[in-house]
Amino acid sequence: MSISLDRLTKLYGNHPVVDQVSLELPNGEFFVLLGTSGSGKSTVLRLIAGLIAPDSGTVVLHGRDVTKLPPQQRGTGFVFQNYSIFRHMNVAENVEFGLKIRKILPQERARKREQLLDLVGLAGFDQRYAGQLSGGQLQRVALARALAYEPNVLLLDEPFGALDSKIRTYLRRSLKEIQRRLKVTTILVTHDQEEAFELADRIGIIERGRLLETGRPEDLYAAPKTLFVATFLGAGTVLAGKADSGSARFGSLSLPIPPETAHEEGARAQVLFRPEQVVLSPEMPDGTIPILGCGRVVEKTFSGPFQRVRLKLPHLQDTRQVAPHVPFGEEGLLVDAIVPSELGLQSENVWVGLRSWHILDQPRQRLLIYAGSPETIETCLATARELSERLDASSVLLGVAEDQESVESLGIVLQQQKTAHGLAGAELQVHSGNPAEYLARLQQDGNFDLLVIGGDSSNAILTRMLECCTVPVLVVRQKQSALKHMLICTAAGESGKTDVRVGGKLAHRLKSSVTLLHVTPRGSAGLSPTTKGHLERAVATLRGLDTAGTVQIRGAESAAEGILEEATAGGHDLIVVGIHGPQSHSIFHVEDITFRVLAGAQLPVLVVPIEDE
Amino acid sequence: MTNLPTVGSLAHSKPFVPVSLLVLVLMPLLLLPLAAVFVFAFRSGPGAFLKALLTPEAQFAFRFSLLIAFATAAINAVIGTFAAYVLSKYRFPGDRSLGILVNLPIAIPTVVIGTSLLLLWGPIGLLGRMLVPLGLQPMFTPLGVLLAHLVVTFPYMLGAVKPLLDELETTYEEAAYTIGASRWQTFMHVILPALRGGLFTGALLTFAHSLGEFGATVLVSGNLRLRTQTAPLYIFAQFEAGNIETANAVAATLALLSFVLFFLLLRYTGAGAPSEPARSR
Repeated sequence: MSISLDRLTKLYGNHPVVDQVSLELPNGEFFVLLGTSGSGKSTVLRLIAGLIAPDSGTVVLHGRDVTKLPPQQRGTGFVFQNYSIFRHMNVAENVEFGLKIRKILPQERARKREQLLDLVGLAGFDQRYAGQLSGGQLQRVALARALAYEPNVLLLDEPFGALDSKIRTYLRRSLKEIQRRLKVTTILVTHDQEEAFELADRIGIIERGRLLETGRPEDLYAAPKTLFVATFLGAGTVLAGKADSGSARFGSLSLPIPPETAHEEGARAQVLFRPEQVVLSPEMPDGTIPILGCGRVVEKTFSGPFQRVRLKLPHLQDTRQVAPHVPFGEEGLLVDAIVPSELGLQSENVWVGLRSWHILDQPRQRLLIYAGSPETIETCLATARELSERLDASSVLLGVAEDQESVESLGIVLQQQKTAHGLAGAELQVHSGNPAEYLARLQQDGNFDLLVIGGDSSNAILTRMLECCTVPVLVVRQKQSALKHMLICTAAGESGKTDVRVGGKLAHRLKSSVTLLHVTPRGSAGLSPTTKGHLERAVATLRGLDTAGTVQIRGAESAAEGILEEATAGGHDLIVVGIHGPQSHSIFHVEDITFRVLAGAQLPVLVVPIEDE
Repeated sequence: MTNLPTVGSLAHSKPFVPVSLLVLVLMPLLLLPLAAVFVFAFRSGPGAFLKALLTPEAQFAFRFSLLIAFATAAINAVIGTFAAYVLSKYRFPGDRSLGILVNLPIAIPTVVIGTSLLLLWGPIGLLGRMLVPLGLQPMFTPLGVLLAHLVVTFPYMLGAVKPLLDELETTYEEAAYTIGASRWQTFMHVILPALRGGLFTGALLTFAHSLGEFGATVLVSGNLRLRTQTAPLYIFAQFEAGNIETANAVAATLALLSFVLFFLLLRYTGAGAPSEPARSR
């Protein structure tokens, strides 16, 4: 193995930017680390080069543990995105710098330099300075400079990021050729899929510091395991249905689940199909391929030999669309297809079938439970059990003691409590320190789908959670709840849409009924057209999520008051409210609707964070 | 350097009135005083001028001033670059305050700096008191003058080098590290050459300011003839003694020297930064 990373972790503050990354690269492999900006991909590269030190984990290069060594002793070749060519040295001096440091004789240096400049296609540029070279040429000098002292491994940090697309294509090809010829093990970091597909022997997808999947480009594209990789790499449609006796069911359509795919009977199952796997035909296809339904063309774009078609199909029973994103207020299925340009398509009554498809691994939902003080621990744990049973979720119970000494006693108490409340399967984590910070950190890691917090947890915890939460937070009050009737409080606007979508998704999983509440100022005359439209689309969106929703309009002095009145009067079990941005509560504090509902409600309250898309 | 007329410039209107107005304002402010120095210096002919310059006191004052200026420039080049490096590359609590502190000598009157040095190192000063029993006395010696000049001119080197270091991306250093260069090698081969322009202008500025320093010097030097008397102090002393022509001869020479330095500086900074040899070739 040329490069071997073992559970490499780097924290910035408390937040892991690289999280337990393990990776093995055989000699001569070209590995591309693909991720969005801020995913931690460059940090991995810098950890390997020794430019930063990991908090835990090891880096082994060619069998030598270099974790504790400075960058000078690692022998890696590094190409930076900004090239970092030494401006006061000419090309020759730049390329020879590593050899000069290693005290190689001048004749030998010159020979090596000529060879390298020839390799990267810059022969005769020896005497030029950085200011006299183009971006592409600088990049090639950087490559020659990194290769001069025959590095163990070559590390490239978005090397083509600053170049225009024509040069980029050309340089990619020449890089691949050079890498093949020298057989140097290479890791290239990029956010560009096309680049990854073209260069990589293997691709690794990194997100929030975690290496989600690695594999050959064609395997990752055709058979991703996780939803993130499925939607990140390439286009496609993802539908969530139900696993039922070895098959994934989407309405009347039933697709067999391969035995190696992780799934659970009765639980959610997701299918992915790529645009080129979709078959379109004017007549109903014969029974040889699965049929999604009959729909109409909503969008058609010509792209050379192919045309891209987006179709809208009627909603399928017990099915929720995951990708592509369905606009708020629409309930049908959206399916993307690529078909030959010469295929004539009518715009109505197009039958949509599947040539092939892929069932994704189904991770269980994960809950993070923080029970708070002894007074609410009962209701909190009972609600958490109800949730985890209905969602088929796995749970982590978090306890935070004030000091190190009481960690053990708290652990014993929580252990008893969780067994007593039927949460024996939940994982117990007990720490000492500040509970708000622990919760903030854990939910930021992206491991959890839902937070359950005991409601009289101090205001400081709630404030912190509302400030930073990226997943929905269920705040459990004194009252036990059956979670059967959900009250979603909504107003027109982007965050109002998120509230409906997130609440609806949970209602779909819990199979609860939904009441959509809109509060108007008392004595106001009717609803504005915007609000009317919003509520209509909200009901349609719920239908698309397989959930029945009724609309309730209530006049009240303030929004919070109206919500609280309806909650008591309407016999609901669960209130869903949105949050209005990290700063809102500190500016308005008392005025803030979310805070006032939280303060006044007896029922559990689900707080929906702002969606960042 | 070409002055292309830009949008909104008045290149096409007649420049006569505003230009002559400017010259009229500048005459009594800048040009006439300078001219007066030269007129007075040569009033008794070149012989008297030379004679005034060749007195042992004048000779000493010049040599001492040049020596102090050289030493100040050299020492502050090292300390100033070091300070710039630390302030630019490291983040630590109080880094901003320290950055303001080291630039303070520009804002403080030089006489105040002289006074504070006396109060620290003088025979009854906070630290100076402890040196007396050892037979050491930095004030009223050449060392005291050097100390004052180092303090007064400290910000110039820093100001010339730090912006260059700030602009130098961290990856520049990191590239050298991954290639195999040690911290010291990186500093010598990669960072220092990138700072050349700043080092030169910083040193020149420091030198020029040291050459003309008066306020702090007059206090810490004791103005001792043939021992701690710099050229500006000598001019002042001659004026006080009524030897106007001697004072003017030295003043004219000092002014000339400063002109030369100033033009050197202008040429150097104006002719494109030498840190980018690509352009100058």
